[in-house]
Amino acid sequence: MKDLLNDIGKKMPYSESKEYLDGLIDRATEQAIKQHVTAKSRRRWAVTAASAAAVALLVISIGLTVMNNDSQRAAVTLQTEGPIDEFLGSLTDEEVAQLPYIEIEEIPEY
Amino acid sequence: MTDDKALQEMLHDPVRRNQGFRVLMKQYGQALYWHIRRIVVGHDDAEDVMQETCIKVLNGIGSFKGDGPLATWLYRTATNEALQHLRRQTHLFQSIDSLNGTLTAKLQAESSLDGNEAVTLFQQALLTLPTQQRIAFNLRYYDELSYEEIARITGKSVNTLKTNYHYATQKVKSYITEHLTK
Repeated sequence: MKDLLNDIGKKMPYSESKEYLDGLIDRATEQAIKQHVTAKSRRRWAVTAASAAAVALLVISIGLTVMNNDSQRAAVTLQTEGPIDEFLGSLTDEEVAQLPYIEIEEIPEY
Repeated sequence: MTDDKALQEMLHDPVRRNQGFRVLMKQYGQALYWHIRRIVVGHDDAEDVMQETCIKVLNGIGSFKGDGPLATWLYRTATNEALQHLRRQTHLFQSIDSLNGTLTAKLQAESSLDGNEAVTLFQQALLTLPTQQRIAFNLRYYDELSYEEIARITGKSVNTLKTNYHYATQKVKSYITEHLTK
């Protein structure tokens, strides 16, 4: 048994040469470096894209808020004009002439 | 051979990191390859695991604190990648030890035709061991690491490793004796 183990030593039963393995290790090393660089630039691109998207969202949301406020003001204005317009439009000329005309000064102060 | 301290300085310097990594792999690459190969057996598998190990090492260099030798950290990374590779070949709840039959078949397919039969028989005997025991045996027998170094790599206690190595040696001797007398 001792002779057998001495004979086996540290040998492995495969045929890959040292030179072949050196080439394999070099390729694995360079591929790892390439992937590391690609991963770093992908991370940088992702951060830039996320920042740009955030800024775009902010601009769009401000724009939408402004537009929304404008349309709300327009809707309120239309609403307040609508019924008054309707009433005045329904009056005849004689009826309009009989409408009390109140000067601001005539309104009593409390 | 570049010493650990010099290598670690290069690896932690962003400007010299890639150069340091190349030196590191030139120094430890062959030893890592054979360590991986002894776990996964197949050459293609060993090449894949070697690639994954290189990527993990380069990505993890920033977090390596230098609280142990670089070699220990490299072996630990390679061992984990090799075990992950074996786990991917198992089904849910299946142990990686159940792959030993498949690995033996790979060994026989890839053993050199003009190789030494005793060497192949020895590898066959090792494949009858549980995977963790086989890894510890390989690190002691082939890489000649101390039990303390193997403990840092595998996470097992020194006493457990010594006992396991003794049992593994007995089992391998029995297997070889049984097959030689056939």
